[in-house]
Amino acid sequence: MNCTKLELRSYPPFIHDWKTSAKAAWICSATLVPVALWSSVLYGRIAIVTWLTAVAAALVAEAAASALTRRWTLGDGSAVLTGLLIAAAMPPGAPWYVPVASAAFAILIVKAAFGGLGANWMNPALAGVAFAYANWPAHMREYVLPRFVAGVDGVSAATPLTFAKGLAGGLDIKVMDALRGASYPLSAIDGAVTGFLNDSLFSRLSARLPDGYIDLIIGFKPGALGESALLAVALGSIVLVSLRLIKLEIPLAMLAVFGLLARLFGTGLPGEGFLAGDAMFAMSGGSLLLVAFYMAADPVSSPVGRGACLLYGASIGALSFVFRRWGAFTEGVAYAVLVMNVTVPFIEKAATGLRLKRGRVA
Amino acid sequence: MRARGFKRGGVPVDHRAPFKTGPIENAFLPMNAIVQLREHRCAVEPIPVVSVGQEVREGQLLARSAGKASSNVHSPIPGIVRRIETTRTPGGFDSKAILVSLEGSFSMLGKRPERYLWKSLNKADIAHIVQDKGIVRVSSGEPLYEILSERSDAPGFVMVVSALEMDPYRRTEEELLALRAEDVVDGCAIAARMALPSRIVFAVDERIEPATLEPLRELAARSELDIAIQRFRRRFPQDLPGQIAEAMDIVDPGTLFIIEPSTLVALHEAVVSNKPHIEQYVYVGGGSIKRPAILKARIGAPIGDLIEECGGFSGHPETIVIGGPFRGRAAADLDAPVTRTTRAVLALSPEETKSAPERPCVRCGDCVDACPEGLSPYRLLKLLRSGRPDEALAAGLGRCSSCGSCSYACRSRIPLVRYFDEARQNEVRR
Repeated sequence: MNCTKLELRSYPPFIHDWKTSAKAAWICSATLVPVALWSSVLYGRIAIVTWLTAVAAALVAEAAASALTRRWTLGDGSAVLTGLLIAAAMPPGAPWYVPVASAAFAILIVKAAFGGLGANWMNPALAGVAFAYANWPAHMREYVLPRFVAGVDGVSAATPLTFAKGLAGGLDIKVMDALRGASYPLSAIDGAVTGFLNDSLFSRLSARLPDGYIDLIIGFKPGALGESALLAVALGSIVLVSLRLIKLEIPLAMLAVFGLLARLFGTGLPGEGFLAGDAMFAMSGGSLLLVAFYMAADPVSSPVGRGACLLYGASIGALSFVFRRWGAFTEGVAYAVLVMNVTVPFIEKAATGLRLKRGRVA
Repeated sequence: MRARGFKRGGVPVDHRAPFKTGPIENAFLPMNAIVQLREHRCAVEPIPVVSVGQEVREGQLLARSAGKASSNVHSPIPGIVRRIETTRTPGGFDSKAILVSLEGSFSMLGKRPERYLWKSLNKADIAHIVQDKGIVRVSSGEPLYEILSERSDAPGFVMVVSALEMDPYRRTEEELLALRAEDVVDGCAIAARMALPSRIVFAVDERIEPATLEPLRELAARSELDIAIQRFRRRFPQDLPGQIAEAMDIVDPGTLFIIEPSTLVALHEAVVSNKPHIEQYVYVGGGSIKRPAILKARIGAPIGDLIEECGGFSGHPETIVIGGPFRGRAAADLDAPVTRTTRAVLALSPEETKSAPERPCVRCGDCVDACPEGLSPYRLLKLLRSGRPDEALAAGLGRCSSCGSCSYACRSRIPLVRYFDEARQNEVRR
């Protein structure tokens, strides 16, 4: 097994699939560009600065790790991807040192210290974000309204999820109505699109889409940079799935379980009865989609095998719901993924054991 | 007729390199032929019966079979024996080779072949001819005589004539089935007379041309043999015995006797025209070859000559491969000779190899999806790298057929098969 690289390459097979781990990381990064663009439109200069700082910090950290290990790894694209994902979790206007410290922690401590790409047992970006939440809780929970909604930059406001959490135990109303009642701004676009959908589509199904959901989806609400560009994240996810770059079972199981639990047990408001939770509200917030497709499905820190992936995704969905519904903060999804990252070896073992029991050899 | 296929894993072969069909041309005769005596890693080396400086005729015996897996070797060209020495074969093992340089007149070329009415021959006569003429199964390098007589001792097996081409390049077997169907079916009848299969299955591609299929059907019906024609899905490694058996719902691949049209043509020529195995159909192609073609080449001809005849290189090839893109070997240089198992010579461009620097495993699971045996290659690799070969064997390493699907799919370009091959060789040594 001690053969040189050159000899290794002259071993069959001589043709390969188009996918390489570097290409996969670069494509993932490319699909985040629309997310960055949309959030920059929403928040202007403060968003652009955060995206650039995070990526630059990630590149510098990776270069430092490369220099220390004497292995040039900037070309594999994973550093840029980590930087982008960290930026996506930042609230607009976070001080520059928050993304920088997160990126450095993610790449130097979580990834490089455990042996670089492929050896990290936690998703580096998520670990970096959790690091930021632990160290700068105030900065990480300070949100502002997008320019179009407030008219001016930098009007601070709570995210819809935090707002909903504050309501718990209060009035007996639905979360969207509560938002409206608190004179939460409603954009003209929302009014127009909701009206159009109600007139053309939902009226025929004798249903009605309440105001406010369109704002949640297009990001006209306070939120993290990646959380705001829900449509762009969905688009990127479609690209990742259609190119088969991620294990589809994980986000599917996660979203299905989370959505189901949110529907069953609600978002935490007293007005929501059993079986009548606002799943759409719950799933549009807290970067759920971004975490599901870009972080939970990250190949390195997730299990291999269909059954193991389903179990892993479902557990993340359930844990995120529990953390968010009964936990103290709204970023429960991130912690759910990190917790499940640690259990990956056990999940794989369990899945292999099940297959053996059913008479198939691993 | 439903196309059959193996159940899991594999690599789809949807895009084939374009190929213009037409009569198969004879390659030019080489000035020097390097004839390798061993065709198989485990073969006993045949004993040379000529000496340096001796004049030999075309088809004259050069070396005599000396035991298990070895076969008679004949001179592909008329000439003078220049050297007898040990060289490294393209297959990666050492073998004695006889160098013959071209001189004198031809006894076979240009002559109308005599046609012997083989139907009067009995089993022993056929066995004698097959052994004498050094016919080798081109897919494995084993002497056909040995396989046939082993089979005839244990009847009740299925003979599969496999014209399956499960890579984007080679078309030889399909072309032979189209151009020389009569000889293939006749060769099949000869093999059947000696080995006595319970039935015969022609394994063809799911997208076979009707122009090929119809005449084949007619010939099969007229042949007085129990011949069925079965389509198989075009997915690598459908051409491996394990996957053929799986597709046919046969539990033990050992009950299948798999043989290719090109071997049957060689067998037919040996019995009917008294011709030793001195020619080989070679597909020359790949993205860096100007005019891909199938050539009927003499054994011992340097592959560089064949490439020359196909117009030479276009662009700069990254690798020259002898055999298929999945399981072939890299040619050390263009002087590597054609052997009785050289089925293809490929000059692959970087766009085809898509090679990239090796990176650490990212656990994407693509190798698990690609493995036709249902193994977890990434886990086997982890076990082998951490020095636990016994656990790797327990996890199914022994079932790996070295097809190369996992390495093909690997995003990090880890040569998984190389590790598996080495681990099993170490296991054998222990």
